Amino acid sequence: MSDHDDTIQTPENETHSLVETPEELGWERTLYTDPDVAKHPAVRELRRVFPHDILEVIRFRDETTIHVTPAKLREICFFLRDHREIAFNFLTDLTAVDMLKLRTAPRFDVVVQLYSLPNRVRLRLKAGVNDGQSVPSLVPIWNGANWLERETFDMFGILFEGHPNLRRMLLPDDWDEGHPLRKDYPLRGWKEFPVYNTERTVPRSRTRWTGRGV
Amino acid sequence: MATTSSDITAPSDAPFVNPNASPTGTLTVSDERMLDNGDRLMTLNMGPQHPSTHGVMRVLLKLDGEIVVDCDPVIGYLHRGTEKLGEAHRYAQLTPWTDRTDYVAAPLNNLAYILTVEKLCNVEAPERAQYWRVIMAELSRIASHLVWLGTHALDIGALSMSLYCFRERELILDIFESFCGARLTTNMMEIGGFSRPIPDGLVAQIRNFLRIFPQRQREYTTLLDANPIWMTRTKGVGIISPEAAISYSLTGACLRGSGINYDVRKATPYLVYDRLEFEVPLGQHGDTYDRYLVRQEEMRQSIRLITQALDHVEHMDTPLMAYESAYVIPPHKGTMTTAEDMQRHFVWTIKGFNPPVGEAWCSIEHSKGEMGYYLVSDGGPLPYRFRIRTPDFVNLSVLPHMAQGAMLADMVALIGTIDIVLGSVDR
Repeated sequence: MSDHDDTIQTPENETHSLVETPEELGWERTLYTDPDVAKHPAVRELRRVFPHDILEVIRFRDETTIHVTPAKLREICFFLRDHREIAFNFLTDLTAVDMLKLRTAPRFDVVVQLYSLPNRVRLRLKAGVNDGQSVPSLVPIWNGANWLERETFDMFGILFEGHPNLRRMLLPDDWDEGHPLRKDYPLRGWKEFPVYNTERTVPRSRTRWTGRGV
Repeated sequence: MATTSSDITAPSDAPFVNPNASPTGTLTVSDERMLDNGDRLMTLNMGPQHPSTHGVMRVLLKLDGEIVVDCDPVIGYLHRGTEKLGEAHRYAQLTPWTDRTDYVAAPLNNLAYILTVEKLCNVEAPERAQYWRVIMAELSRIASHLVWLGTHALDIGALSMSLYCFRERELILDIFESFCGARLTTNMMEIGGFSRPIPDGLVAQIRNFLRIFPQRQREYTTLLDANPIWMTRTKGVGIISPEAAISYSLTGACLRGSGINYDVRKATPYLVYDRLEFEVPLGQHGDTYDRYLVRQEEMRQSIRLITQALDHVEHMDTPLMAYESAYVIPPHKGTMTTAEDMQRHFVWTIKGFNPPVGEAWCSIEHSKGEMGYYLVSDGGPLPYRFRIRTPDFVNLSVLPHMAQGAMLADMVALIGTIDIVLGSVDR
């Protein structure tokens, strides 16, 4: 967590306010599950600081999902981690979803599951990226993102810019058949299976136990 | 690097810091840095058949004498593509696949998956089933910790611990066998509760275990807690600072051993954990010994939880299955006598059900940490995305951090203290 962008705007040096000021609503835990998702403290703060990068906010089964622009993913995560009140300081999971069958563009959703240790609430960030487009890596913020991003690269072929060691994680290093969790990757792979000899080389009568020798 | 071996101080005087060491495992066999230091550093390949890697994991070690300079865990030898297979199976068919991820704690895997499906479909299991789920989950946690304790102690040199731990684990596996017929890959939980009745004599069997286990656990602590060899091998070994634990996204005993109070059962309670009394043990130093103490205490707390849940549920006679929901398998009763029941049961089994469009994330406190499932539904009978966040995969990524500057002989202790099961790491 050493090298991060110093130009990140924090609430302290932010002068203008687009929506209501945070003092009006407060930071109660109940606001995180309020039916009005605009009162969610993270949504409120992100809309104030990153007004052009919050694309969509979805609430389903008491889970809040915020769609953000991929270019600002690292700044947003950094802002959420170091915010004094909302403090989403724990990276629970990082993965992706191939949206090939559900929409035209962008192709993938990079899914980041965050957790706030002081507030005990969860938040999901999604950043849509196209094939070949890269996402800023979260390794400068959380070391735990290292293997999770490697796995996402391995399974989906999503490139993480600034990752120290973007190699395959679960598949062999010399795997040349693409990225298996993509929707256009067939379940049994691209190549034919090698045909093994299944015919009996020893006659069955020779292997059957008769009780009186062979 | 211009230093010679005489420049290196003993690890007891000052921590060995390699200026060229990478922050995390970035070592490959053809790495340039390896060739530069080839005269002094040695590459050692540990695994994938090494018994102390608890499965098939390979660790590439870069050694300076006996000190580990860098290490790179190579995983994937047991990768079976469970997430890809999940997109080709209906929701109810996937429970057996979750058994195979972490095969020493199969009921906990089932539970995490089933809770995610229930959250996606908005189904709630009856209260009695939830208590039984708690009992089975905590028994499974004890069984998993016993395997960990036995193998971890075996790695470090306490051979007899593995015999004792597996002896007590047999009692738990017998309970599982009475409950669902299987011992290891149980496939125990079902969407909506339990469709089979609780067998006669199961409560007495669990009571017997609850009576036996605490005194057996006192034997373990007598053997290990103040054992000088055990303390020398574990105290001060593999220290993880609280900041590093959060940064590496550690969960479970690895996080709590460093003193961070995060237990999913307390933080975001699921099932009926908010009605039961238990405590979350925390370590102070973040070393291997503290993580050992945390897991020992977790087993005692599990006994407390099972006792409370069993007292509550023993004489309950309410339904075990939420049959009123369309997402739950229709009752088996009547399938052999009436055509309607047979058809309903058959169609549900063959066609599955279509959850609402959306996505759900649910995580539970697994014996190894936070296990989460993430399901994306497009409204069809198959999950659109089936994601398993296994705790030991994320926990294992801290190994290069822990191993830098450690002694080679401590590597088995470091791998053991993370508590990995390679089926869960590789999925």
